Amino acid sequence: MRGRNLHYLTDQVVKLDILSVRNLKKHFGGVKAVDGCSLKIDAGTVVGLIGPNGAGKTTMFKLISGFEGGSGEIMFKGRRIDNLPPFKIARCGMVRTFQIPHALTKMTVLENLMLAPNIQCGEQIWNIWLRRKKIKEQEKLIKDKSQKILEFFEILHLEDEYAGALSGGQKKLLEMARAMMIDPSLMMLDEPFAGVNPTLARKISGYIEELRESGMTFLIIEHDIPAITKISDKIIVMNEGKIMAEGVPEEIKQRQDVLDVYLGGEG
Amino acid sequence: MIEYIDMILPYLTTILLVSSIYAIFALGLNLEWGFTGLINFGHVAFLAIGAYTTVMLNMSGYSLILSVIAGIALAGFSGFLLGIPTLRLREDYLAIVTIGFSEVLRFILLNEEWLTRGSFGIHGFERPFQDVIPYQYYNIFLLLLFVAILGIIYFSLEKLIHSPYGRVLKSIREDESVPSALGKNVFSYKLQSLIIGSAIAGLAGAMLAFYLQYINPFTFKPIETFNAWIIVILGGTASNKGTVVGALILWTFFSGTRFIEEYVPFESHQMGAFRMIIIGLLLMLLMMHKPEGIFGEREELALSD
Repeated sequence: MRGRNLHYLTDQVVKLDILSVRNLKKHFGGVKAVDGCSLKIDAGTVVGLIGPNGAGKTTMFKLISGFEGGSGEIMFKGRRIDNLPPFKIARCGMVRTFQIPHALTKMTVLENLMLAPNIQCGEQIWNIWLRRKKIKEQEKLIKDKSQKILEFFEILHLEDEYAGALSGGQKKLLEMARAMMIDPSLMMLDEPFAGVNPTLARKISGYIEELRESGMTFLIIEHDIPAITKISDKIIVMNEGKIMAEGVPEEIKQRQDVLDVYLGGEG
Repeated sequence: MIEYIDMILPYLTTILLVSSIYAIFALGLNLEWGFTGLINFGHVAFLAIGAYTTVMLNMSGYSLILSVIAGIALAGFSGFLLGIPTLRLREDYLAIVTIGFSEVLRFILLNEEWLTRGSFGIHGFERPFQDVIPYQYYNIFLLLLFVAILGIIYFSLEKLIHSPYGRVLKSIREDESVPSALGKNVFSYKLQSLIIGSAIAGLAGAMLAFYLQYINPFTFKPIETFNAWIIVILGGTASNKGTVVGALILWTFFSGTRFIEEYVPFESHQMGAFRMIIIGLLLMLLMMHKPEGIFGEREELALSD
């Protein structure tokens, strides 16, 4: 009985804090890119990470997703993930996109998406010969799911195009669509609105809100302050490797120190 | 007419035999480079390991099939050993280490005479079914055997590439941070690709030994690696069909240029260099006008962007 209660409590913790970072540090020579940052992200929320260029936002992303090694403690869904390689972190349900879209340009849009799901039977070499039927069935399921997601992002008509032929904005959508394929609990987007026209930016905002409604958590780096404050439940402001402010968007927008850092006091 | 056929048939058989060996050798490289993006400048080392292991074991009394399997396995295992320290690093480290490895290996083969007979080389080993097939038909038999092996390797690789496994390999070739961010163990896939590519080269090595009936360290000079690169680039990077055709074109060219020897003012030793100059010029023209190679897909071109 007692064990069951504890299990119930653990579930609650997992549900509240999907990601918790404590005293994260990364130095490049004398440059303190991330300097003792701590943050918590609640499940099912959208958190915006803002700050001037060189504030350490992308390095923070790399540290959390395992693409860069540093010091500090990172807990994801109740499990410690610092020191895990990126692919193991991704398998826990955390997926990231890149500042410059990393579309696999010499593969088709459909192939880009079909690559993503984990634990595919046909990704083990012996299964190619030994479990042909299972692979065929799984491929069909994955293809159907890919097409549904492409439809959601309104790029289904491009499924057979090579990803290299897509526009910058379409590549951003492709990257988000690909990330969706692994059913992540936490999606980390690096500047999803950068270089995107206002219509597409509104569309991406709409997708994020819709996915949040379905229970997904987002951590988003963004420079477009009106766009990010509109969709975020919480904003974290970084400057010179440290977290200088944290709070709901309305509160952050009023803070003079944030305005000083971002707009040189012109705000 | 019959006389003419009698003369041309052995000649054609030879071209096809060598082409099929080099097609298999280059298919291994195409898996590594064309589909996974691994730069291997020491592919010949695995050819040598396959050849030497096969003939040395056979000379020690082991059955031929067991010797060939050991040759393939040892070539694959060498790929594994080379891959462990290099594949986590940038791709150029593999290029440096493999070219170094192939030369070190050649000098070991040359100097460890107690084991390899050094520059004297090894001959007198068994060939498949040599007691059953009459000598005058043996090359025809070998050709049929080699084409059958080539067919098996070709269709197996095609199956591999058009599977979810192949999709992961291609994604690594394109940008390994993407499969990594999606939960794929990139290092393990790269290692597997190198092991399979090396094992295929090992098989080609055993076949080369059967064809030549004699091997020595000079059979495995670095130029053989670059012949495989020429074949892959010529036929079309990331195209198995292109690789097979590339091997045929290259060896037809090498053999065909022997006919023009009497019409050009070169000594026979100069002719080899002349051939490479022509090949170089042809490759330059190909790169300028059809950089994806003969059968390569421009959209899938991995050589330049």
